[in-house]
Order: sequence, then structure tokens, then C-alpha cells
Amino acid sequence: MKLSSVQLDAMQELGNIGAAHAATTLSQLLSSTVEMSVPRIKTVDIAQLVNYIGEESAALVVFELQGEIPHGGYIIIYISRKSAVQLTNTMLGLTDPDRPLNEMDESALLEVGNIMASAFLDATAELLGFVMLPSPPALTIDMAHAAMQSLIAQMQDEIDEVMLFSTELVCEEHKIDSDIIMMPETSTLKTFVERLENLMKSS
Amino acid sequence: MSEPSLQNKMPVMIGIGEYHIGSEPMMAIGLGSCIGLTIYDKDRHIGAMVHIMLPESSGRTDRPGKYADTAVPLLLNKLSDMGSHRSSLVVKMAGGACMFEYFGNNLNIGERNAEKVRAVLAENHIRIAAEEVGGKAGRTVAFYPVDGGKVTVRSADGAAHEI
Repeated sequence: MKLSSVQLDAMQELGNIGAAHAATTLSQLLSSTVEMSVPRIKTVDIAQLVNYIGEESAALVVFELQGEIPHGGYIIIYISRKSAVQLTNTMLGLTDPDRPLNEMDESALLEVGNIMASAFLDATAELLGFVMLPSPPALTIDMAHAAMQSLIAQMQDEIDEVMLFSTELVCEEHKIDSDIIMMPETSTLKTFVERLENLMKSS
Repeated sequence: MSEPSLQNKMPVMIGIGEYHIGSEPMMAIGLGSCIGLTIYDKDRHIGAMVHIMLPESSGRTDRPGKYADTAVPLLLNKLSDMGSHRSSLVVKMAGGACMFEYFGNNLNIGERNAEKVRAVLAENHIRIAAEEVGGKAGRTVAFYPVDGGKVTVRSADGAAHEI
């Protein structure tokens, strides 16, 4: 699906609102400032995915988009392995940046992911005027490409390219770098765009 | 022919649904539920590699490397066209992991991919020399046709081993 520049702007604004809410919750959780990038929208051929998300080890907390649109696509909280340790260290009051991650870290990462994804979806759903809920989360701490590839393989639509909406959230104080990525099904994206166009007409 | 120089060359990257045939090193990065399938011709020291994403093509023909049921015949036919004999082929596969247990519709695509590859190879009377499939972790697979068809599997922690 190709988006016009107006549609891209509208989707970028949607991502902006969602990510801003996610950034606020992360900031409250860490009691620190969280900076947010401009949301990027990329259409990526699956054969080229490795150029965007590679072999690097990262924690990915993933959610399926549910609610009024069942199987709507995915929300992914992507945190590099180094940042994941920094994040859970900050939450758990620990200091060693080189320690291995354990079950406690996994629970903490799931929790952070849950809070961020819920904030993102609450804000975007409110704007769009329909109910979007995150599924229960799943977590992997492994090769990022392997995780993303596995999600793409189980998407409903038979696809050769994916559209990634990603926003970087950075906490300088604790050296935490994360991305919130939305990867909607084509049908979901169409619904988003229709709703946004209606909103623009009526305003 | 100076084999060491070939071996040290940058590998050809095989993205999702892509394939390559030749003597240069090849690599598929970050396989989750995907399969990296390698076929080595031990007489001619060439090989083919494909990065399979799904088991069934359901009639789609535009990306034959993406599906197990079309990717396996594709590589076998291409190698045959280049003069390879079935009896000289050494087949290895890796990947087919389940990165997220109990998540989404949990179709266990990795396992189905591996089963389909095995089934299509069996139809062609070709046995698998080595495989490392399943589990919960991602894999990067490298293939070196000029180095005896060596296949290495690397995990997220960087540790690599030959299969």
C-alpha cells in the first residue's frame, strides 16, 4: 500500500501522539527526561529487512494489535541489549552494566513494554475513535532480525514488504535507547488512513 | 584458483526469500522461524543457498525462494542446469526456531517450514546431511562452497559452530 504525502503526514502525527504518551510513561517510570525522535515511516522489502534490523542482540517486547480490529498487526518495543540492562538496573536499583539478564529483568522488561504499548495504543485509539488493545506481551532477548522476521512470517496478509512506523525514545541520564515500532497489517493501515482522512475533513 | 582469497571474500547476503548459486561465501543473517537451506555440490565445489520464510507458496510464483515448496525444486533445478548430479549434493539446513512461544496465533511456522523442506527433499530422494532446527533462538548461517561446503551456525552471543 502506497501512502500519499498527506496520508504520510497524518500517519506520522498519529505515531507522534502515540509515542509522546509512551515517552511520558517511560519518563515517569525512570523519573528522568526522555527525548523522542520524529516518527519515521519506512516501507521495507522483506529481503532488505536486515539493512534496518540486523543481527544485533536486543530485547523485543511484542504485542498483537487487538480490539475492534482483530489481528491488526504488531507493536514492538525494541531495546538494545545494553540499554535493556541499563533500563532494568535503573528500575531495580542495580549498577553492574555487564551482568547477564535474568528472570527478574524479563519481568521488568515485559512490564515496561506493557506500560509503553498501552500508552501508545490508548492515545492513538482515542484519536482514531475506536478500541485498540495490546495482546498479552511476548518477550525475546536475541537476534533482532530473527524476532522481526518471525513476526512478519505470521502476519495475516501475504506480503513482500512491511511498513514500519518507528520512534526512538532516549533517556540520556541512564543511557537507555529504545524504539517503539508499529507494524500494521495492510487492512489495519487502510482503516487508520480512512479514519484520519475523515478527521481532517471534519475539522 | 586461489581458494583462500575466495574464502575471505565478503559473503553474499541472502535476504528473506532470496537465493544465490555460486562458489562465493553466502550468509543468511538472523533466521528466526525462517530456514537457511544450503546445497553443496561436492564434485564441482559450488553451492546454492536460500532463505525460506513460509512452507507453502499456494500458487504464488514471483518469489520462489520465499516458500519451502518452491525453493527446494528451484535450487535443485538450477544446480542440475549447471551440470550438478543429484548424487553429489550435500544438503544442510538451519533455522526454524520459535522465537515467541504462546503468542499470537502461534502457527509454529518454523517447525512447519522445516517439515516442508524435509518432505520436498524426500520426494526428490535427497537426504539431509546435517540440520539444526527448532529451539527458541535466532541463528545466522554462513556457507562456504570452496571450503568443502562448510556450513556454520552463529547464535546471538556470537558463538559459532559447524554443522
